[in-house]
Amino acid sequence: MPASKPFLHPEAIRRISRMELRARHVVEGFMAGMHRSPYFGHSVEFREHRQYTWGDDLRNVDWKVWAKQDRLYVKRYEEETNLRATLLVDVSASMQYGSGAMSKYEYAATIAVSLAYLILRQHDAVGCVAFDDRVRMAVPQRTRRNHLDSIIQALEVSRPANKTQLDGVFHLVAESYPRRGLVILVSDLLAPRDGLFRGIRLLRSRGHDVMVFHLLDDEELDFPFSGPTRFEDLEAPAALSCNPRALRQGYLAALQGYLAEVRHGCVRHQTDYALVRTSQPLDAVLAAYLSNRQGRHRHS
Amino acid sequence: MPTFVHSALLWALPVVGLPVLIHLINLMRHRRVRWAAMEFLLASQRKNRTWVFLKQLLLLLLRMAVLAAAVLMVARPRMPERLGGLLRTGRTHHLVLLDDSFSMSDRWAHTSAWDEAKGVVRRVGAAAVEEAWPQRFTLLRFSRAAVSDSARPDLLAERVDRQFLERLDGDLDRMEVSQSAAGPLAALETIVQLVADAADEQSMVYLVSDFRSRDWDEPGQLKEALSRLSDLGARLHLIRCVHTARDNLAIARLAPGRGIRAADVPLRMEVTVRNFGRRPARRVTVLVEADGSPQPAVEIEQIEPGGSVTQSFSVRFATAGQHHVAARLEIDPVAADNFRYAVVEVPAEQRVLLVDGDPGAAGARYLQAALDPGGPVSTGVRPRIVGPRYLSLHPLQAFDTIYLLDVPHLEPAAVEALESFVASGGGLAIFLGPRSDPQLFNEQLYRRGRGLMPVPVAGPRDLLVDRLRKAPDLEVTDHPIFHVLAGRRNSFVAMVNVERYFAVAEQWRPEADPAVRVIARLRNGAPLAVEKPFGQGRVVAFVTTAAPEWNNWARGNPSFVVAMLEMQAYLAGPPPADTSQLVGTPLQVTLDPARYAPPVRLLPPDGTQTGTIQAQPDPDGLLKASFAGTDTSGIYRVELSPKGASPSSRSYAVNVDPSEGDLAMADPQTLAARLRGVRYEWIDAAEFRYGRQDYAARHLGHVLLYALVVLLVGEQLLARSASYHPAARAASLAHGGAR
Repeated sequence: MPASKPFLHPEAIRRISRMELRARHVVEGFMAGMHRSPYFGHSVEFREHRQYTWGDDLRNVDWKVWAKQDRLYVKRYEEETNLRATLLVDVSASMQYGSGAMSKYEYAATIAVSLAYLILRQHDAVGCVAFDDRVRMAVPQRTRRNHLDSIIQALEVSRPANKTQLDGVFHLVAESYPRRGLVILVSDLLAPRDGLFRGIRLLRSRGHDVMVFHLLDDEELDFPFSGPTRFEDLEAPAALSCNPRALRQGYLAALQGYLAEVRHGCVRHQTDYALVRTSQPLDAVLAAYLSNRQGRHRHS
Repeated sequence: MPTFVHSALLWALPVVGLPVLIHLINLMRHRRVRWAAMEFLLASQRKNRTWVFLKQLLLLLLRMAVLAAAVLMVARPRMPERLGGLLRTGRTHHLVLLDDSFSMSDRWAHTSAWDEAKGVVRRVGAAAVEEAWPQRFTLLRFSRAAVSDSARPDLLAERVDRQFLERLDGDLDRMEVSQSAAGPLAALETIVQLVADAADEQSMVYLVSDFRSRDWDEPGQLKEALSRLSDLGARLHLIRCVHTARDNLAIARLAPGRGIRAADVPLRMEVTVRNFGRRPARRVTVLVEADGSPQPAVEIEQIEPGGSVTQSFSVRFATAGQHHVAARLEIDPVAADNFRYAVVEVPAEQRVLLVDGDPGAAGARYLQAALDPGGPVSTGVRPRIVGPRYLSLHPLQAFDTIYLLDVPHLEPAAVEALESFVASGGGLAIFLGPRSDPQLFNEQLYRRGRGLMPVPVAGPRDLLVDRLRKAPDLEVTDHPIFHVLAGRRNSFVAMVNVERYFAVAEQWRPEADPAVRVIARLRNGAPLAVEKPFGQGRVVAFVTTAAPEWNNWARGNPSFVVAMLEMQAYLAGPPPADTSQLVGTPLQVTLDPARYAPPVRLLPPDGTQTGTIQAQPDPDGLLKASFAGTDTSGIYRVELSPKGASPSSRSYAVNVDPSEGDLAMADPQTLAARLRGVRYEWIDAAEFRYGRQDYAARHLGHVLLYALVVLLVGEQLLARSASYHPAARAASLAHGGAR
């Protein structure tokens, strides 16, 4: 892997590139192809003909070809949509944690870069915001292929530090990207839930489609520790010496309550939510998620 | 307050602080984890802080308690028994009754019942030494308890100290199984007295025995003694040292048989072997020695289980006096009863008085020729021919047998002397003849059945001639006198012709006097020879002549010689009873002070020397001496001091009680039923362990062991509850959340 693209996993890209990213709701921009857009007829550049199949819009039928050859062809254009996606990547100190091959931060960055690559390959615009308690780095939305390097560079620069503060970041994103689009949040969400839900509500109120990849490490989910252990908070000076097995049950109960709260909050705000273990293969996570999302979109 | 057997181990008690130390070390050695999801951990800690703290504290205390219990258990704490320790002195008295009868020599594999029993005694002693409470120890062997004058325990209430075990081991090493047949009763009765005398101590009674049926099938008195011990508060342990009954043979008897006892005359001896096993014993060989010289062995073809077989053999002693005969069996599980000894008094000759009413003494001469034919062969019989008056003029005790031959008349003094002679064990043979007066015999000798004559007689009769000679005139029975002649085709008996005889009175009925036995009849069924016991002696009456006057028996017929010699042996007196003494019975020596001086000395069979003792005069004017040391079987000699003569000796045979060789076992269930009401513990020697919990100083070892188990289980449960045990991997939360 080139050093300049540490978060771009070829295998993940190969698998997810077969998928088509579709917004679940109407997004702002062109809907010349797969995306239904309220903005018709902007910056359309013809690319090729394709034989008509059942379901194609009759408006795209090239009647001239039909007149000459008595066959139905539809016209395809260079840009089918103007999807604008914003990747929000949590780079707070809690994202440093990782018991496996990758820390949560590395896993989040990889997801973000993979999605950015996919979006750019669809000729959609993608931007990236790395944040902790404030925005650490922001990359504007672009459709250029080389824009991926900017995103990667931004994520590399944003080393994890500080605490997570979501509501301020969401507010800034809502203000910075007024046009409706897709907002993808990749975080461990170890932050006050009020701020999270306020931010989601704000983005939703602005017409954004929000996706949440909730990353947690296996050890955070299973809490397999034993023996006398001193736990030191990554984001605060707090520490706790204890026998982890004595607290495991209470820990898991609190975690379950937290996960349920997050899941219900996302559902309440019509936000796609996925809890992801950092031990899961990245490509499988993305493929399963996008497949699931596509299926749901078709039925909607 | 409890005390401890190993109080030095209490120094290990600080080990109970080990869990605290480990806890402190763990606090310093804990792992550091930089953790993101602190929020949930702190929430759990806030929620469970109190409960976790309590559980951890409890777990710590439990672990400390486990260590404390382990240390205390090893230190073996004891509490005084409720009564024995608080109300009494708390002293324990171990009373061991050790069966050393010779059935305990029962061997199997590489051990024996005796070895097992000594092992039990050692274990009791070793454990008693370890007790901190005062302990006393009494050891009493059955054989010593059975001594009639006073029981002498080997150890009597001996204080148990550190050196005790060494002394006990030394004593046990010196002890051998005895040849006594002593049962447990005497020992129990002795112990009852000891327990009753020491009411302030806890008595532990151990009856270590093989529990043979012989002793325990009818445990009436034993049960009574055991009940008394139980009532006195003693704890009874019946410890069995044998598990299975093995087959065993024993020589039950060795004694002279019937026959003429005289110097240089073959003496018939009888040996009886009993089979105490459960299978037939085949081809049993009995080795015989006479005066130390080996004799031809006696072979017994088969002895049925539980049965006995008596076999005869002959020995010849060239001189008169006391002679020794020993019999020995092959090796079997119990050795002591394989040996038997006898002392035989052999007279120089047997003196016989032939009283003939015929002045020519024809009958006496025929008898003399039959009883003492002369020549190189000696019969051991010395007959003397006299007239009827001799009986009333001379003492008869010097004679063994008296023959009355065709006596016409007897003076009352003679009749009285004869009756006295027979009553004291002498033998009397009567032959009637032409001079015999029926009135004399009926009134003086028969006297309505109370006299010497077995039957009343009516008068002489002729036996009708049987010209066809279909049947012999003499019909003999299977009597010792005619045993040799008995049989259907005995030509010598068939040659006997009887012409005349005295008929038995018609009013006599054999049923009237069952002691009278017709041992020979004539052809016509009339009694010819009749036998009657009288006092200790016997009378045999022939109702015909000894001389060939009324019959031809004595004239050249060999059967007459045989029958007369057999009759002489029969009448010479019953064979002396087995006069041997039982092992352990004091040897009583009675001396005539006119002939012997008081000093006497006992020479045991093993040749050891004992001191000379003085025989003491008794009220009867005789000198008596008693020797108690008859502990082994064999021939004991007592050296005497005759007045005016060189020292002489007298021999005594001492034998084991053959019934002790019966190795049948008492069944524990049956015994329990028979001892119903007696509190005791039945233990096999191999399984016997010192039951510490039974003693006055009651051990808390088991209590602590149970407490330790409970504490360990509790610790495990609590540790699991406190989640200190590795748990099965929790179900993945993310599997549900990733959907």
